[in-house]
Amino acid sequence: MMRFIVQRASWGVLVVMSVVTLVFFLIFVAGDPAVTILGPQARAEQIADFKAKKGLDQPVPEQFMSYLGLMPCIRKDSPKYLRADGTRGFCGILQGDLGESYSHHESVANVIGYRLPRTLLLASLAVLFELVIGLTAGIIAALRRNRWSDTAIMFATFIGISLPTYVTGPIALLLFAFLLGWFPFGGYGVDPLDHIYHALLPALILAIAGAATYARVMRGELIETLRHDHVRTAKAKGMPMSQVVLKHAIRNALLPIVTLIGLSLPFLVGGAIITEKIFAWPGLGLLTIESIESLDAPVIMAVVLMFGVAVQVGNLLADIAVAALDPRIRLSD
Amino acid sequence: MRSTPKTERSRPARWLSVGIAVLGAAVLLGWVVAHFPKAPIGPRYVGAGHQSPQSGGTLVFSAGSNIHTLDPHFAYDTLSTAACRLLYDGLLDYDYDGNMIPSLAAQLPTVSDAGRAFRFELRNGIKFHNGREITAHDISWSLHRLLSETTGSPGYPFYKSIVGTPAYHRGEAERIEGIRVIDDKTIEFQLDEADQTFLNALAMPFAYPLPKEHVEKLEAAEGPDAVGRHPVGAGPFAFSRWERGVQVELHRFEDYWAPQARVERMVFLENISPDVASARFRNGDLDVIHRPSKVNRLFIRESKAWAPYRAEVPSPSVYAIGLNCELPPFDNVHVRRAVAFAIDRSKLERLNPGEVLAASQVLPPMLAPYDPELPTRQQFDLERAKEEMRLAGFPDGLSEPITLWVRGEGDVRGAQLFQQDLKEIGIEIDLKMVSFATYLKETGKPRVAQAAFTGWHQDFPDPSNFMDILFHSRSIHPVNSENRSFYRNPKLDAILDSARAEVDREKRLALYAEANAILAEDAPWAFLSYAVDMFAWQPYVKSFRPHPVWLNEYRNIWLDLPRKRVSQVIYEEEAAP
Repeated sequence: MMRFIVQRASWGVLVVMSVVTLVFFLIFVAGDPAVTILGPQARAEQIADFKAKKGLDQPVPEQFMSYLGLMPCIRKDSPKYLRADGTRGFCGILQGDLGESYSHHESVANVIGYRLPRTLLLASLAVLFELVIGLTAGIIAALRRNRWSDTAIMFATFIGISLPTYVTGPIALLLFAFLLGWFPFGGYGVDPLDHIYHALLPALILAIAGAATYARVMRGELIETLRHDHVRTAKAKGMPMSQVVLKHAIRNALLPIVTLIGLSLPFLVGGAIITEKIFAWPGLGLLTIESIESLDAPVIMAVVLMFGVAVQVGNLLADIAVAALDPRIRLSD
Repeated sequence: MRSTPKTERSRPARWLSVGIAVLGAAVLLGWVVAHFPKAPIGPRYVGAGHQSPQSGGTLVFSAGSNIHTLDPHFAYDTLSTAACRLLYDGLLDYDYDGNMIPSLAAQLPTVSDAGRAFRFELRNGIKFHNGREITAHDISWSLHRLLSETTGSPGYPFYKSIVGTPAYHRGEAERIEGIRVIDDKTIEFQLDEADQTFLNALAMPFAYPLPKEHVEKLEAAEGPDAVGRHPVGAGPFAFSRWERGVQVELHRFEDYWAPQARVERMVFLENISPDVASARFRNGDLDVIHRPSKVNRLFIRESKAWAPYRAEVPSPSVYAIGLNCELPPFDNVHVRRAVAFAIDRSKLERLNPGEVLAASQVLPPMLAPYDPELPTRQQFDLERAKEEMRLAGFPDGLSEPITLWVRGEGDVRGAQLFQQDLKEIGIEIDLKMVSFATYLKETGKPRVAQAAFTGWHQDFPDPSNFMDILFHSRSIHPVNSENRSFYRNPKLDAILDSARAEVDREKRLALYAEANAILAEDAPWAFLSYAVDMFAWQPYVKSFRPHPVWLNEYRNIWLDLPRKRVSQVIYEEEAAP
C-alpha cells in the first residue's frame, strides 16, 4: 500500500511540474503582462518600471527558476528580494511564496484565500445535491426497473448528462431567479446564510451532470447486486425487501460511486469555471477567467498549480478509498 | 436482454401507454406554456412598515464598472467620488438644495481682504476613523499632499489661486504660503485674487483631509497608491475591506461627529454589467440602482408600480459639437451659428427617450443662471440656418466636407443623426473615429481638429466651472488645451474675470447670464443635449433621493427591515383607460 501511494504521489508531482512549466511559458507566448495590466496608455518608463519590479525584465529561464524557488528572488518589490542582512532571499513556490497579484495588489495567497472557501462551499453543496438526487433516482430506477418511472428517470439522466451548464445556467437564472424570484440573480450575498442561499441555484446547476451520472451508475450497480447470492439469501430468510436493499444491496453498490466522487473533486474545483462565470460567483473559477483576461501571471500560475494538485490528490484518494473498501483489490502487488 | 422474468405486455397495451405518455407530455407542456411566469412589473419586496428611521441593515448597490480608487486626492470619476463621499468629510458640503453648508468646519468661513482671505474654525469632536481628533494641521497637510507635484493629483488646477501654490507645486517652495494654520482649530487661506469658486473647490473630494501618520506609514510600506486601497477618513462610514473586482465593504463609523448613519454596512458591488445589475435590482438583490440598462430604464420608467421608487434627474453635464474657431470654415461665426440652427435635437430625445434633453446653451437646466427662454438660445430652425449660411458667404453650402472627430460607436450613431441635418444647409461631414486617449491629446492642440464631439460634466455647481474652463482664452495652451474650440473673445474674458471675483451673488449671476447669452450666440459649441440620470430604489430603502451635486448620496438612507415579500407581485400593468 505504502509503496503504491509513494509511486502514485511521485507521478503526480511530475505531472503537476510539467503542467506548471508548460503554463509558465505559455503566458509569455500569450502576451506581455506589463502592457495588459498597465493599459494601452501606459508610458514606456511605467512599463519598464513595472517589469523591473516584477522581474519581468530578466531572461525567461531565470524567471522560471526564480519562480520555482531554485534561484534567488528577482522580484524587486518582494521583501525577500534583499533581506535585512544584505543577502538575496528566495521567493518561489518551493518556499511557499506564490507571489503578488498584478491586478489585485495583494499577495496571491490572500486572493486565493478569499476565493477558495467560496468555491469549496459551492462544490460541497453541489456534491451533496449530486449524491442526494443521483443516488435516490438511481435506487428508485433500479427497484422499479423497466417500469415507466425507470424509463422516465433514465430519460431525464440522459438529458441531464447531455445539457451543458452554459445552457442550463442561464435558463435557470431566467426562470427561477428573474421570473419566479425564488433565488437571487447571481452573486454571492453579504452574510453567511445569504451566501448559502446564493449558492443553491449554481450548485444545483453544477450538480445536474454529476447527479445524472450517479443515477445511471447506481441503477446499474444495484441491479447487479440485487442478483447476488447474499441478497437472494437475505430474501429467502424472509427479510423485508426494504431491509434487504438498505442493508445488503446499497452498501455493495456504493463502491464505484466512491471512485466517481474522488474523480469529480478536481472537476468541481476547476470545472465550476463556467458556472461561476454565469452566476457571477466570485470563486476560483471566476478568478481564473479574470486573471487570464488581465494576464495576471502569478494568479494564473497559482490557480493552475492548485488545479493540478487537486486532480492528483483526488485520483489518489479515490484509489486509496477503493482499496480500503474493497478487500479484493490489492494495491501492493 | 431482460435478465429477470417479467410478463411481457401485449403490443396494443404498449402502444396505448406510449400514447398516454405523449398525451400527458403535451398537456403538461401546454400547462407550462399557459402558466409560464412573467417578469414582475413591480418591486418584489416592501418594507416592514416602520414610520420612524430604523438603525441597522446592509445596503447593497452596484458600482457598475470598477471603482478606480478610494483616495480622495485622486477621485475624479463618478464611482470613486460616490465611495469617497461615504468615507470622508471635508470642511464644506452641499445640502439637497445645492447650498453650501459647513461640514468639518463649524460654520461658513469669515471672508476678509476683499474676498481674498477665508478663515475657518473647525468643529469640536471631529475624528478620523483611527480615533484621532482632526486639527487644522491635518487640513493643511492634506492640501500640501494634494498639491505637490510628486502626488500628481488631477485636482491641482482647482487650487492654483492659493498664494504660493504654483511655486510649491513646482517644488520651489517648502510650504504653500497662503495656507496658514492659526491654531489647532483655526485655518486661514489667502488667495492671489478674489475667487468666489474657491469655496466650491474646497468642497470637492480633493480637499478631504487624510491622517498624516496613516498615509505616511502606508505609502512607505506599500507604495504611493496604497491609500486608495486602505482609506482612513472622517466620514460616516469606515473602510472594512476591498476585494478587487468583487466588492468594497464599509461599516458605520460609531464615533462620527454628526448623527450616526443608520445603515450599518455598505456594499458596493463591482464588475457587474448594467443589464445584470438591472435584473438583480428588479429581483430585489440590489437596493439602489443608478443608470439601469436601456431596456430596463424604459421599463422602470413606464411601470406604475415603480413610479414612487424612481427618480430622473438631469445630470450636470452638457454634450455638444465643438467647432474650432481658428480653422476655416468655423472661424466664421455665421457658419458656426448655421450649424447650431441646423441640428434637429429632438431626434436625440426620440432616440433616447427620457435619457437626454435638448440643449440650448452651455449651462445645464439645474444650474443658475440657466434660462429656458434665453433670446440667443440655440435651437432647430432651418430657415435661420440657411440665412446664416448666406450671411457667411456660402449660400450653396461648403465645397469641402467637414471632418468631425468622434470617440467611439456611440458618437458615430449620434453624428449620423445630424449628417442629414447638415446636408440640408450644404455641409457634408466626414467622421474620423479615434481612441479616447488620441482624442484628448489631439483636440487639445490648436489647428488640428476642425470639429469634434465634446462635452463637460461639472466639478462643482458654479457657472465658472463650465465657462472659464471651456471658453476663456486663458484655457488655450499649445498642448492640453481645455478650450478645445480655441474660442477667444476679450469681452467674454472680461465678463468672466469680473464674475469670478464678484462677491455679490445677484451681480455675479447677472454677469454669467450675459456670458451665457454670448456663448449661445457665438456658438463655439453647437450644444446638443443634457444627460438625464435615472435612479431607482427598493420600497424598503427610505429617505434616498439623488443629490443635486453628488448624485449618488447614500449617507442618509435608512432601511425599513425586515423586508417583506410582496404576496401578490403585480405581473401586468392595469390596462390603460
